Amino acid sequence: MVCLSQRSQAKFRMILAILILIAVELVHPTVSCKNETCSQLLRHSLRLTRLMSKRTTELLETYKTSQDFADLICDMQMDNVPVSTVSGQTISQRILSVYTHLKEFLPHMKTVMEQQKDLNPPTNPVAEGLNRMITHVRHIAVRVNCILEILQPNIPIPEPAESPTGIPHAQNIFQQKAYGCIVLTRLQELLSQAVQEQKSLKKGKMCRKSTKNGS
Amino acid sequence: MGSSHHLLVFLMFLHYAVGFTYNCVKILPDSSSSIVVEVGKNFTATCHLLEGCAYTSDDIEWRLGNLSIAKQSYHRINETAVSVTINISSDMSDWLKCTAPKESLSYKPRSIYGIFLRAGYPPLKPKNLSCIAVQEDKDISPNLSCSWDPGSRNPLIDTTYTVYANVPGTVLTHKADCKQHLARFCVVNLETFPIHMVLKVWVEVKNALGSERSELQSDSTYFVKPNPPLNVQVLTEDKFPTSLMVTWKHPIDRTILKLSYAIRYRKVTSNVWIEVPESFTRGYIESFRLQSLEPYTQYVVQMRCIGESNSSYWSNWSPSVTERTTEAKPASAPDLWRIIQPTSNSRNVTLIWKAPVKANGKIQFYNLSINQNNEKFESHNIADNLSQMYSMELPAGKMASIEITANNSAGDSPKATLSIPRSDKELPGVKDMSWSVRDEKLQVKWTAVLPLPHPLKLSEYLLEWVKIPQSVHQKELPAGWQRVPKNVTVTTLNADLEKFKRYNISVYPIYKYQSGHVWHFQPGRPVTRPAYVQQGPPKEGPTVTVTKSKKNSAELTWEEIPLDSQQGFIIHYTIFYAIGNTKQWKSDMVGPNVHSYVLTDLASETDYVVYVMASTEAGSVKGTDCTFKTMKYGDGEVEVIVVVVCLSFLFLTVFIIMICLRKREVIKKLLWPQVPDPSDSSIAHWSPDFPIKADLPKEDVSVVEVDVFDGKSLCEEDKGVLPLKKDKYLSEEHSSGIGGSSCMSSPRHSVSDSDEGDSGQTTSSTVQYSTVLGSGYKGQTPSHQPPAFARSESTQPLLDCEEHPDHLNESQSRSSYFRRGRELEPGVLAPECDGGSLTFCPVQEEEPSPVAEEPPASALCYMPQKSGYRPQ
Repeated sequence: MVCLSQRSQAKFRMILAILILIAVELVHPTVSCKNETCSQLLRHSLRLTRLMSKRTTELLETYKTSQDFADLICDMQMDNVPVSTVSGQTISQRILSVYTHLKEFLPHMKTVMEQQKDLNPPTNPVAEGLNRMITHVRHIAVRVNCILEILQPNIPIPEPAESPTGIPHAQNIFQQKAYGCIVLTRLQELLSQAVQEQKSLKKGKMCRKSTKNGS
Repeated sequence: MGSSHHLLVFLMFLHYAVGFTYNCVKILPDSSSSIVVEVGKNFTATCHLLEGCAYTSDDIEWRLGNLSIAKQSYHRINETAVSVTINISSDMSDWLKCTAPKESLSYKPRSIYGIFLRAGYPPLKPKNLSCIAVQEDKDISPNLSCSWDPGSRNPLIDTTYTVYANVPGTVLTHKADCKQHLARFCVVNLETFPIHMVLKVWVEVKNALGSERSELQSDSTYFVKPNPPLNVQVLTEDKFPTSLMVTWKHPIDRTILKLSYAIRYRKVTSNVWIEVPESFTRGYIESFRLQSLEPYTQYVVQMRCIGESNSSYWSNWSPSVTERTTEAKPASAPDLWRIIQPTSNSRNVTLIWKAPVKANGKIQFYNLSINQNNEKFESHNIADNLSQMYSMELPAGKMASIEITANNSAGDSPKATLSIPRSDKELPGVKDMSWSVRDEKLQVKWTAVLPLPHPLKLSEYLLEWVKIPQSVHQKELPAGWQRVPKNVTVTTLNADLEKFKRYNISVYPIYKYQSGHVWHFQPGRPVTRPAYVQQGPPKEGPTVTVTKSKKNSAELTWEEIPLDSQQGFIIHYTIFYAIGNTKQWKSDMVGPNVHSYVLTDLASETDYVVYVMASTEAGSVKGTDCTFKTMKYGDGEVEVIVVVVCLSFLFLTVFIIMICLRKREVIKKLLWPQVPDPSDSSIAHWSPDFPIKADLPKEDVSVVEVDVFDGKSLCEEDKGVLPLKKDKYLSEEHSSGIGGSSCMSSPRHSVSDSDEGDSGQTTSSTVQYSTVLGSGYKGQTPSHQPPAFARSESTQPLLDCEEHPDHLNESQSRSSYFRRGRELEPGVLAPECDGGSLTFCPVQEEEPSPVAEEPPASALCYMPQKSGYRPQ
């Protein structure tokens, strides 16, 4: 090491800087979360979650209207669709549960969107709504991730892989429609719970505490 | 085999690219395309001689384009390499060539190699990057429109602009390539707008000389431009004439963007907006009450919105909504004025008024109350839709006090009062007044009035303007007026006075005095001046007429141009005149009040053309041409000529008469030749049978001559003896002149008696002057022979006695003249006429031979023979 020439040292520093930059780029949430204060983050997250909850409700109505479905079908059991129940004892656990569920829902939403595109013309409002919804759910996940960073800065956040849905491709049309409705219904329930959890956070003076902690 | 083939192709391409065929030399750095070099920097290239090349470094020459590079820029590295350093300028995009000269007498071609240099600048950092995503329906558009300032420097080389957008925390980055040269605007599609997320946008500019980047990162609402508030309405409220309620709807759901609002309003008549403080509308509200407005006034209201805490762009202003506040009582009095026109015994007063400045509503009617000599005279409610004037007669010896109020649906206005004094009680006016034009407005200046004794106080001044001639429109007020404070002596008329129209500008001092608890306002005497806000040349010139044309002068008159056509103050008239078509104009200038002029020094009996040109300070206009001709003779010349001619004629006449009188004997002889005296006839001596008889007539004739003729002519004698008959005789002489002058008439002419003065009678009474011949001579004629008349050749005129026998008694003397003749034939005529017969005697034609004739036996004489005969 001592024998390294000055030119070699310069090259090393450059490579190190590039590596650090790559590492930073790879860990996006960590970087993005620092652009906002805690209260801003929580406020925006809550608003976005509330907006998406509302939009999902509207989309579900649109879906039911377009598919001529009864509520009963949308509430039936389907094992491969993620549950909407937020679990956990602490607020952090519940927020983590929200985060995990949101990530789990994304592949299902994509599947439903693809099925809707196949079932209906491209101008299908459900497919368009789902496309936007997927983006927004991702954004909620980013926000929730940031909240988790604030809530438990020392605990790494497990990233659930966007694995396949496990839903067999050989679904008939009715099954596809029922599947889509179930996914949207459960997503709507999840987002409602997410709103509640975030409201709890807001009431729980999360940001004041974190500010005091010097975060 | 394949690789060598590719290499060959590559070399051929390289060869083709540089465009030269022989590679004895080579330049480093080298490139198959152009080499981009930065303007202002030094660029160094080295020319190498390849192995086996017969040249040395001394043979190398550098050229840029077709120009040789100075040797001072060369640097000899070794025997086979020479470098050159050049400073790049912006116009140096050209070939840099290294050449070695062709050897003499060699078959080898010249060695040359070149590289293409392209000069340029590195990109500038874009400035002022901003991005906007507008509201689309109920959502935000995913199209993010970004703009920036690329700078003014042209990079000269290909430069690309790319916009990137990314939500931090996500892996997806959206980009848009901007195709335009020196792009300053680009739209990047985000697919879904990242609501409530942080958005990072940057623009990257790149070219061969480097890259630059500008970045923008903020909450996504920062990029949002919402729509203006929806359904903005403005509502009036009864009993609140000073407020308006504004309501609206949120243009976007608060879960997407929570908005705050801004409201601005203005009067319809104003361009100045008043903005409601943002603190009043900060909340997430949907209504607001505008207060402290003016009653019955139209307001225009607009709204816009922005993300709360100014977190987004402002929306555009909403469309204007106009509403009028409700009515309130008029807050000011009407503006009352009067116009007084004196008549023979009275005054015609026209009251005129303007609506209150603060009418606060639609005026329904005016209540006009008139007192004369402090007693109520009349009161009227005059509807507003009628003309705002009222005329009345006011005797000169009476004063009047007028009060007026305006009424709208909310109530009455304060009272306006005006006093009109008796004619002989007018208060003093301002001393002096003048006007000028400033910025196309009339500025009036006057001298302040002196203070008046108590209780009169100067209240204000009033400026009145009246268009001359007055308009015929009944609805239009006959005058305009404007009030100014009492301490002002210069003001500009706030009136849209018409150009080229005359106005009478008057300044009135308005005095006030208190009577009881009421203030009375009374105008003083006005000072009036005519004025124009802008003068122009007259519309038409004066029409000139020639009233008197003389030998060397002509009097011209022209009418004054109508006021409407004058368009300014006439400063002078110019009279132009010229002879016929010579166009050698002469001119005379006269004052504006002169409307007639005498042209002098004109040529006599000559055609002249004349016209009059009227001039204002803005220009002149000529009138119509008038042609006239001067007279041949001057004044009195004709009269002199006539008088001279008449006098000359008179003198000539008198002269002739004098000559006639003087030479009357000669004339007489010429006209009436001497009748041969029978007494001197040789016949008397010739006849031996009648010696005694021959003597008798002679003796008798001599007696007659003594008594009657006395050696004078008949005419002369008549004049002397019968002066009363003078005229008659003269008349006879003149009348004989009809057939020939009494003195000069031809003997053959018949003679008429002109006593009657009737030519008809004259003709009818014309009697042939005949001689009565007997058949014998001196009694020798046998008595049985009939009498005969023979026409006489004598020119002797008939005498009165011939035609008027009744006059014979009165003129015996005249008869005696003829008696002598008859007595020459006493034997023939006397016996018959002595019978006392006065009957007409027919006359027989004269026989050719008097000797052969025999006197008539009983010839009747047509002349009385009562007297004049003497006994024989």
